[in-house]
Amino acid sequence: MNENSTRRQFIEGSCRVLGFVTIGGAAGLLTQRASANAVYQVDPFKCTSCDLCRTACVLSHSAVKAVNDFEKCGYCMLCPAYMDVLSKPDEHGIPTGKVCPQDALKRRVVGKVDAEDPNNNYYEYVVDEARCDGCGKCVKACMAPAGNASLRLEIRYSRCVECNECAIQIVCPDRAIVRVAAPGMAPAGPVR
Amino acid sequence: MEPNDRDTTSVSVRDRLWKAWLPGVAAVGALAALVAGSLRVRPTPKAAPPRAQPAGTPGPAERAAAPGTGARAAAPAQPVRGLARTYSQSAVLGGAGSPDRFLRSLTGIAVGADDHIYLLGDDEIRVCDPGGNRLRSWQATAHAGCLAVGADGRVYVGSPDRIDVYDAGGTHVTGFTAGEKDKPADVTALAVLGTDILVADASARIIRRYGPDGRPRGLIGNQNKTGGFILPNRSLDVGVDARGVVYATDTGRHQVTAWALDGSPLGKFGKFGMSAPEDFVGCCNPVNVALTPDGMVVTGEKMVARVKVYDPDGTLLAVIGPEHFDPSTTHIHLAVDSRGRILAADPVRREVKIFSLNQTLQERERP
Repeated sequence: MNENSTRRQFIEGSCRVLGFVTIGGAAGLLTQRASANAVYQVDPFKCTSCDLCRTACVLSHSAVKAVNDFEKCGYCMLCPAYMDVLSKPDEHGIPTGKVCPQDALKRRVVGKVDAEDPNNNYYEYVVDEARCDGCGKCVKACMAPAGNASLRLEIRYSRCVECNECAIQIVCPDRAIVRVAAPGMAPAGPVR
Repeated sequence: MEPNDRDTTSVSVRDRLWKAWLPGVAAVGALAALVAGSLRVRPTPKAAPPRAQPAGTPGPAERAAAPGTGARAAAPAQPVRGLARTYSQSAVLGGAGSPDRFLRSLTGIAVGADDHIYLLGDDEIRVCDPGGNRLRSWQATAHAGCLAVGADGRVYVGSPDRIDVYDAGGTHVTGFTAGEKDKPADVTALAVLGTDILVADASARIIRRYGPDGRPRGLIGNQNKTGGFILPNRSLDVGVDARGVVYATDTGRHQVTAWALDGSPLGKFGKFGMSAPEDFVGCCNPVNVALTPDGMVVTGEKMVARVKVYDPDGTLLAVIGPEHFDPSTTHIHLAVDSRGRILAADPVRREVKIFSLNQTLQERERP
């Protein structure tokens, strides 16, 4: 402080500095929030496929989709997640009804094909995400002991609009919507 | 100082202070905005969109009974009447509250000479008398998952890619690796007949036959269209009767298959079905198999956890219902003693239930 400066000038200067520091800090915080690398995701160990992902998401077609883990999938001919095993059987005893109301679970024979006996074939099950609305009926049907629990619900980052607070998280009775580090990014700050 | 000067100075100071505080006030405002912004904005949940129902889709009532939803419509709530045999529970080993309960796992059961019961759990082998009293126990190899007992009292224990042999007292005698060099086995079940050790390999989807020294003697189950069993749940069980007929579960086909020791197919029975009690439910059943002394086939099912008894042609003789087992179990390990008692090990409850044959249909109908 030079000799000519008064107490008023000192206060004035201090306030200015304080103000600019605070504004800078606020801007930094906002920038950090805007570039946060944490995303919402479904914890498959908590999720009970209650159907709220379908109805609670702010999007008209939920950002939550069913995905099939091919490592776990049994490639069953009689997949309880694909066909409604309690529905009317056809002449070969195969159930005719499907579990998915949107017909989003598709299957195709993989490997060597036996056209005569479908029991000899392996089937790959793929979710058509354009149709899937995240109701989780297939996930529930695939749970053990009925199935291998290879299907699970996932929030698709390509569709999620990253609400300030996830609408599904608010209503999820299992607290299965969690914040996780986005794939390929460093872990985010506090994970809720 | 003159009053005018004082006033001027006073105004000037207020003005200067006001100007100096402007950035401060702005900063406080920015902070307030930031705080307000960080307050959770709760989006209004939209109404559920109308759902298109494809033609033929079952209604809510039917769907409520779908698998995995808790309702088990296929489970026979009442005992199935008119069957040739009836069983009733005569004893329980282990389970909740028992001091002999396994702490972590119960993965295998077998019956040896004198109807001694051999249990595998917690990486330990326990030998009990027919009444369930523990006689001896010893440590098994880590991750042991199945066991069998030979007529000579030797105990065969299977871990993921290995078989270990113990004498009746629990001393390790020998062991060998199952599978091939580039294809390690996934041993899920064992059966022993004389000097033949039958190893269920869920990885290769076949049954490997070994001699007592661990030398391969052949394969069983590969003489079909698919060159092996269809195992969606990666589980294969095997049993062998005194005549040398090998029975194996073909879960993906919902069948019990019979084979000769040389690998030639002898027969099969079973099909998928959710209502008829003789059918096998779900994606992949039956998961377990055992044989009675009189040559009947005992099966264990998951999804609707139940045990059934068939004759070798596939005629259903008895059903032991799901009320006896944990509904979430994925296996019911089975063994049968010389008196025909069925020992069913529930790995979820970590208990063994023993079912005794009450009477046959002929006995029931006898005046």
